[in-house]
Amino acid sequence: MRNNKLRSIYFSLFAAFICILFPWSGIALTLRPDFMLLVLLFWLLRAPNQCSVGTAWFMGLWVDLATGGIFGQYALAYTITTFFAVIYQRRLVLFSSTQQLVYVFSLLLLSQLILLVLKAFAGHDFSGWSYFLPSVTGILLWQIAVILGLNTGRHSHGN
Amino acid sequence: MMRGIHQNFDQQQAPAFFARGPSPLARLTFFTALSLALMATDSRLQYLANVRENLMTLLHPLQVIANAPLQLYQNTDEYFSTHHYLLAENTRLKKQALMQGIALQRLNLLNLENANLRSMLDAKQSLTETSTLAEIIHVGRDSFTKKIIVNRGKNHHVVTGAAAVDAKGVVGQVTRTYPASSEVTLITDKSLAIPVQIERNGLRAIAFGHGRDNMLDLPYLPANVDIKRGDKLVTSGIDGVYPAGLAVATVIEVKTTQDSPFAHIICAPTGGVENDRQVLLVSIPKIELATAIEALNSEKAMPTTTAEPATTNNAVHVNPSTQTTQAQKPAKPLSAEKPAQKPLANVESRPHAQQ
Repeated sequence: MRNNKLRSIYFSLFAAFICILFPWSGIALTLRPDFMLLVLLFWLLRAPNQCSVGTAWFMGLWVDLATGGIFGQYALAYTITTFFAVIYQRRLVLFSSTQQLVYVFSLLLLSQLILLVLKAFAGHDFSGWSYFLPSVTGILLWQIAVILGLNTGRHSHGN
Repeated sequence: MMRGIHQNFDQQQAPAFFARGPSPLARLTFFTALSLALMATDSRLQYLANVRENLMTLLHPLQVIANAPLQLYQNTDEYFSTHHYLLAENTRLKKQALMQGIALQRLNLLNLENANLRSMLDAKQSLTETSTLAEIIHVGRDSFTKKIIVNRGKNHHVVTGAAAVDAKGVVGQVTRTYPASSEVTLITDKSLAIPVQIERNGLRAIAFGHGRDNMLDLPYLPANVDIKRGDKLVTSGIDGVYPAGLAVATVIEVKTTQDSPFAHIICAPTGGVENDRQVLLVSIPKIELATAIEALNSEKAMPTTTAEPATTNNAVHVNPSTQTTQAQKPAKPLSAEKPAQKPLANVESRPHAQQ
């Protein structure tokens, strides 16, 4: 069972990474949700013993590599974001799905804010409010997944 | 017995149900420190360039897999493209070939004439460049930088610093090379500067990427500078990176304000920076450049008392050591075709380019 879960964690993280590697361009790139962070947050709620801050950091490094930016930007953003998911994990699984949605949305925004600050240090300008659109599409994707029956850990305290 | 139970209880102070290894806060601190260290190392030192290169090699098959759907779509699209479309394209290409054929005939003549004139003036021959055709794999995934990844790399003798051009003009410059791919920073990126010349009057300047809206800036030019709307910018070739005379941009706006001593000039790139699928990577051989630097240094060593006052401003140009430290902008402002005693007199713009 545990092995099975680990395998699905690795597989989904890998799939998220491939999604990031797709040749996105134009409007799709602006709207592209952060697949990796969504998958990480999902597993943090669902299987906190197998997926943790370390996993997020490691996957962040790969995303850094794929984006071609400075090493450690995504790693840092994911580390801090997942930390806030981990410390509230026990409460999160008891939340209603709306509450959970709001919290996940704020986590997505947080990771983008951290990246924005890091980019500002590197001398880049803020490119307008459309920068935050991936958080919106991300939370939509989350909601669609929940509607389609994906268990985001909400009832995992029962069994 | 009681003692046994007690001991047992002691051992289970942290029941297995709650055991999660180090506390989240400890993990946060550790991984944050690690990320910050990595960022510092990567941005300030060059140690991680090799690591990145190796990891990118590892990543390449995944990239190919990820690109496969789009590739398949484009291939089928091409296969099923209509008769009408192909005919139209054929006519357009024929027309283009004809026009270029005429230009080419003149080019041969001009080349011959140029070579003759150069030999008469005893000037060095201009550099011959090598080029590789590359296809864009994907555009950068970072919305803050303007970069594209192309499918030619070190294995195909692409070098860092090579210019990327398309049929209409300069598109960018190769900033990182991996074994099977390389990263091209577009001229609209904020970190890229390109030495240009106004086609109309030969005025030299440096064009900087605007960063956000696919435009170029011509900063640090005085308010009374002779630049008009519609002027064409071409590469000056004095950096030894871009071949001279390639189209770069067209001036679309010149603004002067009372409170600034500089003109505010905005240009639109001529090359299809955003809508190409293929680019040509043009590089000028390193050896010739090295000899050019050597020649220049030996000239510098000789006491030149007849030098004009402008040379003091130009001192920063002829110091190759300060130039080569700039990894991002390998724009070395000297070329083999530069006549010996005449300094490059773009006094206003050059020193700013070093910042």
